[in-house]
Amino acid sequence: MKVFLSLLALPALLLPVACFLYIIVQAFPALDWELIVGSSASSGAAGNLFGDAANAGHGLWSQISGSLLMMLLACLLAAPIALSIALFHALWASPRQQRMLITLLQVLQGIPPIVYGLCGLVLLIHLLHWGISLAAGGVILAVVILPLLSSNAIHALQRIPIEQTESAKALGLSVGAMITRVWFPVAWSGMLTGLLLAMARALSETAPILFTATVFSGVLWPDSIFSPVTSLQTHIFYLAQEGSNAHVIDVAWASAAVLLGLVICFSLSARLLRRYEESS
Amino acid sequence: MNINTNTHIKEEKGVESCALPSYVRLENISLTLSEKSILKDVSFSLPATGISSLIGPSGAGKSSLLRCLTNLYDNWQGTISVAGINTRSWHGGDDALRRHVGLIAQKPAVFPASIYDNVIFGLSRKERKQNQSSRVERCLTQAALWDEVQDRLHDPANTLSVGQQQRLCLARALALEPKVLLLDEPTASLDPRSKQLIEASLHDLAKDMPILCVTHDLEQAQRLQGQVIFMCDGKVIEIAAANDFFEHPERLETREFLRWSVCDCD
Repeated sequence: MKVFLSLLALPALLLPVACFLYIIVQAFPALDWELIVGSSASSGAAGNLFGDAANAGHGLWSQISGSLLMMLLACLLAAPIALSIALFHALWASPRQQRMLITLLQVLQGIPPIVYGLCGLVLLIHLLHWGISLAAGGVILAVVILPLLSSNAIHALQRIPIEQTESAKALGLSVGAMITRVWFPVAWSGMLTGLLLAMARALSETAPILFTATVFSGVLWPDSIFSPVTSLQTHIFYLAQEGSNAHVIDVAWASAAVLLGLVICFSLSARLLRRYEESS
Repeated sequence: MNINTNTHIKEEKGVESCALPSYVRLENISLTLSEKSILKDVSFSLPATGISSLIGPSGAGKSSLLRCLTNLYDNWQGTISVAGINTRSWHGGDDALRRHVGLIAQKPAVFPASIYDNVIFGLSRKERKQNQSSRVERCLTQAALWDEVQDRLHDPANTLSVGQQQRLCLARALALEPKVLLLDEPTASLDPRSKQLIEASLHDLAKDMPILCVTHDLEQAQRLQGQVIFMCDGKVIEIAAANDFFEHPERLETREFLRWSVCDCD
């Protein structure tokens, strides 16, 4: 029985490793330091998709910085809201409201990200006239990661021993003092773990920003929050469409490897933090 | 004092604590949680000094009663007054009431900070910034912990043993200089020595303030002396001085509980 179940579980263990190795092998021809730190914006005119694709090997720095900028903006917007939701859940929500809130977050988490992208396109681009911009991408990604971030914050607060909360109250600490002096010092690692996972999620989302925030080229660094950006995720998408050009496909694999590296960095940091949290 | 007619209270010589003016007074306290009646018309008072032991089987409502006294549960009915002031209209609200009425829980909960910082944890920001060494020493001495931690006050509090953590919680509550002390089975999981040290501290503290101590340990209730309040199924069954309570219990329920540790008071 044990052997049978282990065999069934084997693909789940081997598949990610195989995918990771395959990406690295495919990326190897184009992957070098120059590609990561170099900039591609100077290589072609804005909007010249095919010209840029041909010169795609000039560097990914603007794509990496664009992805990181959007991820940071999304986290800056979503984190305070997620924290407020978690505090409302812990302090003031009735059991019925708590159940409703958890259900709502689960439903929001299940909505395909492309739907959020579509809503963002209609609301932010068409109605509010923000244009294809970093701001639009950041807001949409914030909405995408909000359920994940809120659920993690709620669970981090739930893991605080009830005795700590009761002791804080019994000492006459105000709600604010209890949150800042007892809850946060105990729950910070759990909350940071959630934030790192949300960062990894924001980095790996492509669909919601494809037609709301990013352009293929012509942008090294956005002029303002309402300027378009380039991103690793959408860069891979555009390059992959150039299936006939072998060099471009190599660069697409290299971009995928860089993106994977970034996502793994955040996920592993979250994993290490969780281990620290469990040990303490 | 309006006491439930089913409650038996002895007013005899030797019940000195009962003869003192009351500092804490509970009248007809009822509590319902999740549609279950937890406390039913509980009435008694605590004298201005001395220890009162609250005993009874599990589920009698003892811990819930302590939470009502500090408004950690706020949906109770009846009247609780401390120093003649209704706790519902306490000046400064529930937080101020909880600084006046210290509560120490059954399971010690130290905060992720040093031993020193744990003792002054409940003080205001202004007080915490001042040098509180003398206050820390006094409170740790009162909690019978000073000798064991004086050389490592800045070590993390969670490095202490459970017994030491419980005494640290006592010191932390005492740092606020409460006028009443409530303890919920403070020695339930402690070794005999820690138990002995805490009981000695309580005897000292009880010279200046009323102490209400929930305990399952009948021998401890005898050792603590003072008055004994016996609760069962959310009701107060009998109140008497410790000697009378254990030697001449009046109620059948009390006798059953003392003999077999069970109570059937339905």
